[in-house]
Amino acid sequence: MIDARVHIGQVCFDNPVMVASGTFGYAAEFEGLVDINAIGAIVTKTVTLEPRPGNPPPRIVETPSGMINSIGLPNVGVEQFITEKMPFLSTLTTRIIVNVAGKVNEEFAQIVARLDEVPGIDGYELNYSCPNVKEGGLSFSADPAIAEKVTKLVRQKTKRLVIAKLTPNVTSIGEIGQAVQNGGADAISAINTLVGMAVDINSRKPKIATITGGLSGPAIKPVALAKVFELVQCVNIPVIAIGGIMSWQDALEFLIVGARAIQVGTANFMDPGAATKTLDGLLSYCRENGISRIVDVIGTLKT
Amino acid sequence: MPGATNDFLVKIEQINLVAQNTFRISLKQSGISRYVHAGQFVNIKIPSNEILWRRPFSVHKINSVQNTFDILFNAIGRGTAALSKMEVGQQLRVLGPLGKAFVYPENTEEIIIVAGGLGIAPFLLLLQDMADMDIPKHLFYGVKTGSLACCVEEIHQLGAHLHLVTEDGSEGQKGLVTEFFEKYLLSLPVRDKRMVYACGPHPMLVKAQELVKRFGLKGQVSVENMMACGFGACVGCPVKMARPTESKFYYLACTDGPVFDLDEVILDD
Ligand SMILES: Cc1cc2nc3c(=O)[nH]c(=O)nc-3n(C[C@H](O)[C@H](O)[C@H](O)COP(=O)(O)OP(=O)(O)OC[C@H]3O[C@@H](n4cnc5c(N)ncnc54)[C@H](O)[C@@H]3O)c2cc1C
Ligand SMILES: Cc1cc2nc3c(=O)[nH]c(=O)nc-3n(C[C@H](O)[C@H](O)[C@H](O)COP(=O)(O)O)c2cc1C
Ligand code: FES
Repeated sequence: MIDARVHIGQVCFDNPVMVASGTFGYAAEFEGLVDINAIGAIVTKTVTLEPRPGNPPPRIVETPSGMINSIGLPNVGVEQFITEKMPFLSTLTTRIIVNVAGKVNEEFAQIVARLDEVPGIDGYELNYSCPNVKEGGLSFSADPAIAEKVTKLVRQKTKRLVIAKLTPNVTSIGEIGQAVQNGGADAISAINTLVGMAVDINSRKPKIATITGGLSGPAIKPVALAKVFELVQCVNIPVIAIGGIMSWQDALEFLIVGARAIQVGTANFMDPGAATKTLDGLLSYCRENGISRIVDVIGTLKT
Repeated sequence: MPGATNDFLVKIEQINLVAQNTFRISLKQSGISRYVHAGQFVNIKIPSNEILWRRPFSVHKINSVQNTFDILFNAIGRGTAALSKMEVGQQLRVLGPLGKAFVYPENTEEIIIVAGGLGIAPFLLLLQDMADMDIPKHLFYGVKTGSLACCVEEIHQLGAHLHLVTEDGSEGQKGLVTEFFEKYLLSLPVRDKRMVYACGPHPMLVKAQELVKRFGLKGQVSVENMMACGFGACVGCPVKMARPTESKFYYLACTDGPVFDLDEVILDD
């Protein structure tokens, strides 16, 4: 038996393989297609204060080794999330992390405070890639002072796990990492998508309605590895790695670099069983190499 | 769970060229062939590391004795080209059945199908599903040129009145399929209790929707969107609806569709 457990903040996860926000719906979409409870944690699609319709089509386009999306965070809003999505999520035995996004600084804390009244939630992931309406649409992790402040406001509202999810579209992700650590985050997850664009040469129109979108998938894995490596060196809190993880080998690279856990994203679309296959692969790897605890591979990069 | 959507590993039983650049692949999997209804689709992993997304295909017909189901496609891009070169005995990962099927009101007295090009794909299964219904079934089938028309024999065998239309007049009648659909509607003395089904290129669907509305008929359409997942996970396939609400502003083509009522769906691009 391999001990696959990892600890983040006060929470013990059965294993380090999670699913990334926006790629696993609210888990019900995957019922029957994968053993949901075998996944270390479910991170929900982003929940906002009010319902949002999302962006007009086209929202997605396939690109070499990746895809660009501009979904626009469609969701039913926090109140309907609680009444419509939580009943299924609370039947799960695995960990539930609710990803939240606000339009202004205070909104993150407001949503978290409301969700904190609801049982069955283990923690929150703060989507700092969304636009800050008061700052001309720059993301919440564009400015370390704002990232720290928003994290502090959330920290005051909850004892549950607080994970700050960072965008790679900044000059120094390490600086933002330190800011959210100062703000009281238990962990950092990175990376969200990279800004990307694709053009239809026949119509000369952008292939995404909002012109640019977020690039994800295998294409971004090298960038994600570098950003996770940078973060691991800049902060003391655990880093959860996201970006182009399609296989257990990809996941292992991130663990070696120092990630405490990983999230499978885009891969869920092509293979709804991607997360459990990643976990199975990691466990076999440990077995074959005489490693009894998964944590023993974390941060073993030889430089 | 019987009939549940699943990610099956299925074997290619047959692969045939049935018209110009048009391929039909038979796949063996009772978990799909037994439970699928016309309008539903499967999402197929192309065996190539270069191709990220699966490719969606309508289930074209089934063989309930051999537990096979077929897909019909044109080789138009990387994925479909790779599929067309697969060989009998090879295996494919197939997620399905997915999406909502065509439905008809109890009192339907005639069905009218409007298919353009590869839009014919789901309608053989529809005719199979309706084989026991002893009502007139008209199929208006438009292609650019005669060599692209397929399944003509089978359409006859399934008891449909075929109205073949080619843009160049090389076979059947010359013109656009919707022109002959319109003429037919004009020729009808009464038009209630008729159900229209449409699948094909976008301009054809727009015209079919306009005619169905103008003549006060009921109908359904199958739409094609870009799909990253096919089962509601990516929320990347929105379709505008005529009566949006705050909590449901768009439909999803993959889970709410691909079949929609013609009076509910907005077909702009
Ligand atoms: C529910 C559904 C059912 C479908 N049923 C059939 C069918 O029965 N037979 C059939 O031949 N095709 C069908 N399609 C379309 C089929 O999925 C595309 O033709 C296929 O994905 C193209 O893949 P490719 O790699 O060959 O093309 P690519 O190289 O990816 O692209 C070639 C061209 O096809 C367009 N295209 C790519 N994907 C799609 C898509 N999902 N929908 C529409 N256009 C697309 C691209 O914009 C591009 O212009 C269906 C699509 C959907 C959504
Ligand atoms: C279609 C799609 C929707 C996404 N939606 C969200 C979201 O709602 N909230 C969020 O924080 N991240 C969202 N993401 C970002 C992913 O969680 C992840 O950070 C990113 O895709 C990189 O990982 P990947 O390459 O494994 O997909 C989305 C990604 C995709 C592809
Ligand atoms: S294709 Fe992913 S939600 Fe429809």
